[in-house]
Amino acid sequence: MRRTITSKVVPLASFMGPSLSLILLFYFVPVVLTLLIAFTDMGRTLQWHFIGLYNFARLFGVGIRDPFILKIITNTLIYVAGALPVTILGGLLLSILSMRMHRGAGLFFRTVFFIPRVIPPVVWGFLWAWSFEGTRYGLFNAIRGAWGLPVVYWLIRYPMLIVILANAFLGISLAMLVFSSAIASIPRDFTRAAEVDGASEWQIARYVIVPALKWPILTMTAWHLMSFINSYVYIMLITGGGPYYATEVWGLYGYHVAFSQYRYGYGSSVMTVLVVVNMLLLVALVKAFGMRRMLGRGKIEV
Amino acid sequence: MWARARQWWNKVASYLVLGAVAAPFLTMYVSFFLRAFGKRMYLGVVPKEFGFANFQFLWRPIAWGLEQTTVWTALGNTVFFAVTSALAVTIICMLAGYALSRIEFRGKNFFLVLQLFLHAVPGQILLIAIFFLLFYIKLLHKIPGVALARASLEIPLGIWMAKGFFDGIPWDVERSAMIDGCTRFQVWYRVFLPLVKPGIAAVFIWGFLFAWHDFIYVYTLLPGTIKLMSTLIQSLLATEVIDYGYLAALSLIYMIPPLLLFVFLQRALLRVPVFGGKGV
Repeated sequence: MRRTITSKVVPLASFMGPSLSLILLFYFVPVVLTLLIAFTDMGRTLQWHFIGLYNFARLFGVGIRDPFILKIITNTLIYVAGALPVTILGGLLLSILSMRMHRGAGLFFRTVFFIPRVIPPVVWGFLWAWSFEGTRYGLFNAIRGAWGLPVVYWLIRYPMLIVILANAFLGISLAMLVFSSAIASIPRDFTRAAEVDGASEWQIARYVIVPALKWPILTMTAWHLMSFINSYVYIMLITGGGPYYATEVWGLYGYHVAFSQYRYGYGSSVMTVLVVVNMLLLVALVKAFGMRRMLGRGKIEV
Repeated sequence: MWARARQWWNKVASYLVLGAVAAPFLTMYVSFFLRAFGKRMYLGVVPKEFGFANFQFLWRPIAWGLEQTTVWTALGNTVFFAVTSALAVTIICMLAGYALSRIEFRGKNFFLVLQLFLHAVPGQILLIAIFFLLFYIKLLHKIPGVALARASLEIPLGIWMAKGFFDGIPWDVERSAMIDGCTRFQVWYRVFLPLVKPGIAAVFIWGFLFAWHDFIYVYTLLPGTIKLMSTLIQSLLATEVIDYGYLAALSLIYMIPPLLLFVFLQRALLRVPVFGGKGV
């Protein structure tokens, strides 16, 4: 008896041990640590000094109020509500169009739109910051200059739009790939039959392709909803949250409070809200989709 | 007749739409290359001459603010960071992937689902806590420590990848090895690892690529004096006077190593084992 236990437990521990301990160390400990620090006023000195719910009272405007919070919430809502539809609809449009055209041409367009995902974030940020720079050295201003048009201060006039597009086209690269491979697995007979019946391209897209993509569209929406709620790295690289909090979203605010203002306690409470939102979203997704289907790959439904 | 015309128009329209969306991006990418190799710019976009003047950082130090470094130091740091992270991901995922594919134990399905959830939660929102965690275990501001923290982000999906590769190996291989007297660990090390070489290469590339591209972990958890390529480019971008040609050239150098790695390992990636043949 004893021998069977050791012969099973010892190898299992050596196989699973490293991954379990790393996950414990870098996922569970940080979640607990974030929650704990959120109840302190940890600052530059890194002293643990618990102050109860003060940070959260400040965050939700009970008694004391953070003057930026409303702006941050509005920004986050606009950002997510802008980037999510652009990603899903853009991904659908690009994948359907590129899959319905000449093979080589479609492949070319898909490659162009997939590039954002293969280049490093810093380079993607650099490309956008350079293209939309507000002087005549910026790419699009230089092109405008060639036509004799005055410079536009892109990042000051349309900061949110630029940030949304830069993130949405990253999302599009993934959504397009997923949708395209799903479209490729729709039996040719379906679209052929529709063509023979005299359906227009729009009708084929609307009544044949999109219904078959129901599941990939759902998973991509859920995936990008979570990713946009949490995202801040690209915004940080392109506008840095500016000009004057115009593109400061929730995650970026938490980051800035902690690492620019050195108010780790308050920054953690900002991030705690994100952690809670993530957990609620995950629970909602599991309730909506069911565990079994989440485990399956994104299959198309024909 | 009309149906023909409509069909033709549909074709043209789809090219027009895709072309219009792709045009700004193509302009960006092409001008990026022109800017890196161009010398004196005509209208700010079209170079009058081509040359390697922008690549002068290859033999000269790079300065920003009051500090300076060389591109080779930054590249060396990045290689060290990415390889450490990728090795950690590969070893851990190959171990866990085998157990999840072959050994039955309680909580296995829970563990697999948990990985999907963890993959969905971006590590960047836990960054403050990871900062303190590394600080308390004395690994903050050290490349191996940060590489380990970065590796943990790729482990959830890496485990699924590795499990998939192990699932593809027939049970007979394992049984015959066990009958021949191998222990579990020997089966894994002597029999399975050689069989999943393409899988090892895939997981390694996966871990390497994300670590190589990483910005936020490196930027937050390493001091400003240890520059990796990503933080170097960012700090040059954050200065008052920006030389875009220089930055484009630097970015180009930054993007080459992953490509090289991919080309080198591509053959390994394509060499999928054939079972029942001589290989087994």
